[in-house]
Amino acid sequence: MRHEIRESEGAVVVSFEGDIDLDTSPAARKVLLDCVRRKRSVLVDMSRVTYIDSSGVASLVESFQNARNAGLRFGLVAVSETALRVLKLARLDLVFPIHATLEDGLAQISG
Amino acid sequence: MDKSAPEANGSVTRPLELIATMAADFASSRDLETTLSRAVARITRHLNAASGALFMLDETGEELRCHACYGETDITGLVLGAREGIVGRCVQGRRGEIVHDVNEDPGFYSGVDEQTGFTTRSILCAPLTVRDQCLGAIELVNKLSDDGKFSEGDLHLLQGLSSSAALAIVNARQSEALLKQERVNRELELAAEIQRSLLPRARPEPFPVHGLNLPAGVVSGDFYDFFELDDGRICFTLGDVSGKGINAALLMAKTASLYRALGKTIHEPGRLLAVINNEICETATRGMFVTMVGGVLDPGKNRVCLANAGHEPPLYQNGAGDFQALEAQAPPLGILRLDRADQALPEQQLSLEEGSLFLFSDGVTEGALEDGATFRVEGIKSLLTENACLPPADRLNAVVARLRRANKPLRDDVTLLVVRGRESIGEVTGEGLLRVNFPSRPHELRKVRWAVSRALASADCAEDEMRDMILAISEACQNIIRHAYHEDPNGEIVLELRRDGDRIIVLLRDFAATVDPSEIKGRELEQLQPGGLGVHLINEVMDETAFLPPPGNSGNLLRMIKRIGRKAS
Repeated sequence: MRHEIRESEGAVVVSFEGDIDLDTSPAARKVLLDCVRRKRSVLVDMSRVTYIDSSGVASLVESFQNARNAGLRFGLVAVSETALRVLKLARLDLVFPIHATLEDGLAQISG
Repeated sequence: MDKSAPEANGSVTRPLELIATMAADFASSRDLETTLSRAVARITRHLNAASGALFMLDETGEELRCHACYGETDITGLVLGAREGIVGRCVQGRRGEIVHDVNEDPGFYSGVDEQTGFTTRSILCAPLTVRDQCLGAIELVNKLSDDGKFSEGDLHLLQGLSSSAALAIVNARQSEALLKQERVNRELELAAEIQRSLLPRARPEPFPVHGLNLPAGVVSGDFYDFFELDDGRICFTLGDVSGKGINAALLMAKTASLYRALGKTIHEPGRLLAVINNEICETATRGMFVTMVGGVLDPGKNRVCLANAGHEPPLYQNGAGDFQALEAQAPPLGILRLDRADQALPEQQLSLEEGSLFLFSDGVTEGALEDGATFRVEGIKSLLTENACLPPADRLNAVVARLRRANKPLRDDVTLLVVRGRESIGEVTGEGLLRVNFPSRPHELRKVRWAVSRALASADCAEDEMRDMILAISEACQNIIRHAYHEDPNGEIVLELRRDGDRIIVLLRDFAATVDPSEIKGRELEQLQPGGLGVHLINEVMDETAFLPPPGNSGNLLRMIKRIGRKAS
């Protein structure tokens, strides 16, 4: 799994690429929590996530909770079909704000 | 004092009495020589001759030896040429004769008279014949009647008496040979019993090694053996001694004993066979040698290490039914001494997967079928394939039954041994799609998902079904790593995928402390807490999930089932 962080207008955008599983989710978790600590809204680009398991989902949930507690927005962007299936199975597709594109996400967050 | 006079009135019953007495004597006696002596005495007296002798041809038919005599001169043990004298002529012509005056007969041999000082005047001689066989002759010398002449009646009577004596001799020889044969048979039976005791006791399923030996004769030149080591590995062997009969059986016993004794301390088949080779070389005789396969099965790793010394290539049949022959990589044992004591024969490694390894002697491949054809390796292969669904030991029996159907004596000893690969870890139905062992490390999961996706693709799973099952399997593995092994990276996980009709069966085995299934719960979805989500995902995706009693009652065995080919929910 690789990741990329971009400071954008109104939000920190973090992109993951590859599998987020038990092996890689600790790293993903660290990246996500770091982003939340920047005291900015966070958008997670999941278009190139090839696989996510419960530990990856847990990292998302934990970061989402931290952001909410800090009064920050936290959303998912362009979720790949594979990842969306897992979120739906976990009934989390209704919990996370999910945006079709990064532009939509940025528009929503700044709006 | 004329006792003979066979033609005389009132004497008709006497020859009959004599014949009856002699027959009874022959029938009841166990000592042929004594009985013959008594018979010669009776005949000589009855026919009123001065002396009588019974000559028998030796085994070569070149000499006539006197086995019994009656009269003033003892010539027992006297040896004549088979053509010498009146008796020789009688034996060669198989015809009885009367010689009234030996001095007028050029065939008379005077050497005996010269030796003994006896004077022969007349001779009555009759051959000892049974059917076409002439055993010798009875000769009477010097009729004691007034005219000193043997009569035609004397000759007839002597011929009759000779025939019955000859028959008695043949019977006695036959029963003696039979007794001897019985003794040999009893000894062979004992040898066979000891040989059978050298074979290992059959072990019930699920023990993975089974053998079978059917000697062509009473004893066998083939052998097989197997035994367990303390660490759970199983040593096995099958061998065939060159040649047949008791000498092959003895070398078989020696080799099998060496294997059993040395195999307990030498666990590398290549080195073990090398040591046995040198032992046999030290004492082998008559160019005898042994072809032999020795192997060690590690049931945990499901692997076999094998050394083959000049034996018929063992056949490995994989789970899909394909065969692979494992050619010998070393010459037979007992031919060439290895110079260095630590030298080892080449070894081959074989992963059994869900297949089986078959060892057999050439008595199987060269066995005759009812139409006279030879069974050959192809015959074994097709029969093993026909009976693929039977338990391993029954598959061996099926091969032997086929050879026995020919209803002919076996050409050679028939010996078979099977080493079965690990069966499914918890399921007997369906076909195996995948079997992988991996350590309890998160890093392994990606490889596992990749293997699962390839296996499921080969089973014609739809894209979304595959994706869901990969998720469930990965989640289940994750649970084992985290909750069963508590993140110990050295645990072992076995994953097996099977397909049974429209059901994909997933079996996951671990060897950690047994988990109480009631403590494993799905997450309450209302709570937005991490953890427990994996179980929820598995339950969402799979149709059935259950913990089964693990084999050997250690660790855990999880079975998940998904029906495929339906519209994904």
